[in-house]
Amino acid sequence: MGPGPRILLFPMQNDFEAVALTGTSDEDVSLLDILDHVLNAGVVIHGSLVLSLAGVDLVYLGLNVVLTSVETALRNLAADEARGKLR
Amino acid sequence: MTKILAYCAYLRRPGVSLSPSGVNGAAVQELALDGLGLLYSQVEWPFDDTALQRYAVEFHGVVSHMFAQGAVVPFRLLSVFEDPQALADFLVAHHAGFIVDLERLQNLVQMECVLYFAPQAGPRPSGKEYLERKAELLRLAEEFVQSLSEALQDIGKEIRIRESKNGGRIFILVERGNEEVFRSIVQKLPVPERFARRFSGPWPAAEFLSDSVKAPQIAGQR
Repeated sequence: MGPGPRILLFPMQNDFEAVALTGTSDEDVSLLDILDHVLNAGVVIHGSLVLSLAGVDLVYLGLNVVLTSVETALRNLAADEARGKLR
Repeated sequence: MTKILAYCAYLRRPGVSLSPSGVNGAAVQELALDGLGLLYSQVEWPFDDTALQRYAVEFHGVVSHMFAQGAVVPFRLLSVFEDPQALADFLVAHHAGFIVDLERLQNLVQMECVLYFAPQAGPRPSGKEYLERKAELLRLAEEFVQSLSEALQDIGKEIRIRESKNGGRIFILVERGNEEVFRSIVQKLPVPERFARRFSGPWPAAEFLSDSVKAPQIAGQR
């Protein structure tokens, strides 16, 4: 038997996974999984941008900060969706 | 205004097909340098906020199309470059690191298991009860992670865990083709009482990218 897998423990990076867990159906979870991965997984380029999401203008100096804010916005979006408010 | 939206990088080889359409119907283009390919589209910027969910799915479609054919290094949806020259400069500057990671992860995929506290009915606990319950749940979560790592010893190349306030998220690197073995092993594992778990994958091995690839430094920026 080999040495087994290496295990690394990281502190919580963000709380977006909480959104992915609140889907009410498999389809919801799947969409939230996709949102989670395309926004949170992979190469992040540092830069400045202005983004408007869910009617809120977000102006930030670093993309890392934007992504954190997007997570919050998406969490609110998911909550609205669950309450049937989303158009 | 337009900007350059990067999708993913991959090792170029004959016979690889590109997704025909990208975000908001934009053409998917390839930038290539010494065996490394990078997919991108020229997109209107800023994004239409009302279409962000659709863009996310379309972006995912482009990356998934490539990932089905081999390892990719995905970019995040909101990672954009000013113009094609900025993207080309980026490719030259980070070519070596991307190649190393792609070769290391060539036949590997990322599976995920999320363990979270199942919602509790009943009266709101007191502060002491809440803390006691939380400590107990954390202990159960640690036991589950330990069981999972032991059960996956033969197929898990590497395991990483991110704790969250609701439980934990476990990333497991497995060889491509072992996804069903992973699922069958995880499904047999008993879930601790008051917990629920969900697993997904295969995903590109983004959690296992080296730091220099995941967050590359760009000239002129801190």
